[in-house]
Amino acid sequence: MSLTVIDRRSLLLGTLAFVGAASQGKAFASVGDGDIAYVATARRGMKDYCVLLLRADGSIVREVPLQARGHDIAYHRPSGRAAVFARRPGAFGVAFDINKATPPHVFTPGADRHYYGHGGFSQDGRLLYTSEADIDGERGLIGIYDVGRGYKKIGEHPSYGIGPHEIMLLADGKTIAVGNGGLDTVPDAGRENLNVDTMEPSLAFVDAESGKLVAKHAMTGDLKSLSIRHVTQDRTGLIWFGGQWEGSPSETPQIVGSAGLDHELKLVDAPGGGKDLRGYIGAMAVSNDGRFIAASAPKAGHVLYVDSETGQVVGKSDLKDVCGLSSEGEHDFAASSGFGVIRYETAQARVISEHELQDIAFDNHLRRIA
Amino acid sequence: MNVMRELKVLLSFFAMLALTTAVAAAEPPSHRAMVQTAIETHIIPHIEALKTAAEALPPAVETVCKSGSDEARHALEKKFADAVTAYAAVDFLRFGPMLEKGRREQISFWPDPRGFVGRQLRMLLLSKDEKLAEPGALAKQSAAVQGLPALELLMRDKDVPLGPTEPAQFHCVMAQAIARNIVRVTSEVVEGWTKPGGWKDKMLNPGPDNDTYKNASEPAVEIVKAFLVGLSLTADLQLKPQVDPKIRLSPPYNKSGLQKQVYAASIASLHQLYNAMQLESYLKPDMAWMKGWSQGTWRTIESVDGAGGRAPHAQRKDTPTSREVFDRMNGLRNIVSNRLSVAAGLTVGFNELDGD
Repeated sequence: MSLTVIDRRSLLLGTLAFVGAASQGKAFASVGDGDIAYVATARRGMKDYCVLLLRADGSIVREVPLQARGHDIAYHRPSGRAAVFARRPGAFGVAFDINKATPPHVFTPGADRHYYGHGGFSQDGRLLYTSEADIDGERGLIGIYDVGRGYKKIGEHPSYGIGPHEIMLLADGKTIAVGNGGLDTVPDAGRENLNVDTMEPSLAFVDAESGKLVAKHAMTGDLKSLSIRHVTQDRTGLIWFGGQWEGSPSETPQIVGSAGLDHELKLVDAPGGGKDLRGYIGAMAVSNDGRFIAASAPKAGHVLYVDSETGQVVGKSDLKDVCGLSSEGEHDFAASSGFGVIRYETAQARVISEHELQDIAFDNHLRRIA
Repeated sequence: MNVMRELKVLLSFFAMLALTTAVAAAEPPSHRAMVQTAIETHIIPHIEALKTAAEALPPAVETVCKSGSDEARHALEKKFADAVTAYAAVDFLRFGPMLEKGRREQISFWPDPRGFVGRQLRMLLLSKDEKLAEPGALAKQSAAVQGLPALELLMRDKDVPLGPTEPAQFHCVMAQAIARNIVRVTSEVVEGWTKPGGWKDKMLNPGPDNDTYKNASEPAVEIVKAFLVGLSLTADLQLKPQVDPKIRLSPPYNKSGLQKQVYAASIASLHQLYNAMQLESYLKPDMAWMKGWSQGTWRTIESVDGAGGRAPHAQRKDTPTSREVFDRMNGLRNIVSNRLSVAAGLTVGFNELDGD
């Protein structure tokens, strides 16, 4: 499958319909106004993986079982559709309705492909984009699925790098930001990274309709081992990324930064540097007002908060094994941990409240629903 | 030399057994004591054994290249097997000096499902660039051509066997450069651990000024994580291909027929580290059943040869299937990460252990 066989009519309609979806947002909002505030991948007990639909107090509304460990969740607020993806190098996706306890729908990336755990809906909700690997071809892809046809795969775009991780449809509704981690994995070799010494990570911007490369920031020089993994977008349209350092720990650079279609890559000057974050960012999120950026560092047990207006760090909180991040209210954040904690805190790292679930380990990502 | 190496590891192990038995009879060790035991009785003896085994490679390669005799060839094969098994015992220590500068990949670029080693090595052989023999030159090349798998390819090349022949001349240049490079890298690992202010000191002196370990629990968690990584690597890369026929992954050092030796060395080292950590000593009486379960699991894991057959010194009367061993290994991983480490006051985070 290649770009040429993509159902171009579907793509075009998908992009155009965004305008309508935006104006319908409020009308649809009531559909999702139930108790469900967050959705998260998790592990129950020692080996059962699931998606949890949670109230704001952390209590569980519903649970969707998964065949193996999941990673991130794509959510389309107007329709209530959600899709969760197997983490690298898994090959299953599970779509379900947030508002109805109907049987989930399982989809796959096809032969010689695997997922990287992330994806996102088009703004009209008709298409689903996923980050994938062309295993034999040794290249990254953006898979395109027709939601209305039972998540049938209708095309692929190149990701313009190896190991695409988080992908995000930008607010313009037509550009996809891709964190190309640069790392090659093959399912037969488990989760081993096969090309650490030759990796070429990048942040790429891809036209969602044509699949053409719009812009690309390659990590070079001292940053050539900075695997770009997670992205979010502030209110000005700038992309903020969190990386994972694959080079010598003693040479760990800053690992959180920003870049845009017309903006050069710039790293945040975090006190203690990337080493203080153990060279590893697990998730990124933006506050609802689009101003504050959060980056979780599970190995260090920190969440770093950055004011996107100044580019300065404004807070750093401590929570062991924190990884999942989402916005809460206008300016605040929710953070989840592998020890079953969901915590609300401000960007200045002031804890608002905290809840703990027994026998639950929250996985890497958390998404706001309400 | 090899006897000395094995003796050193064995003596360290017995010393550790004596130490752990004595301690287990009394009370659980402090986190610092646990780390110290793991470093002094397991980690350092094994990385020193690897360095010693590596140091035997350059003269063995040189002898083959000068004589080309079967005797020299067999001697090299033996030294190579020693180095591979010594490496298998430390493969999972993926932190500190082994992580720095990508040394692990430089020593052993495996798994290699894409055949990078062969691809990269062929390019170098075609180049016939004699400068690759200069000190440090190979270190600038891909990790795939710097270590044991690349040396194995040269040793097992039936078309151009190593020896004093014209076609083998550059192969010998490369083999010698690779052997010397392995010595360099393994020496750096040992130095990184043992030098004043090295990783051993870093792990034994945690605190606010320590740039990696802020309290005594963090180095202990590092040790537990390494053990868990080792279980995962052995289960997923050595056993899973036997459980799932769809997986196409050549066993480690298969060209040299070392699959069973690698498995045995991996498991022996993991078991030694498990004992060195003394996690069971933290269990309360109502959780003591885990000790019996763990012992049964080790017996199961050690009753197979890692290639679908029975281990020479198997303690179980029957031969467990690869599936059972795989499941047991994952069960042990769960018990250690979710129960034993918790009992020891060491919390190994779900996300920090294996995120993405």
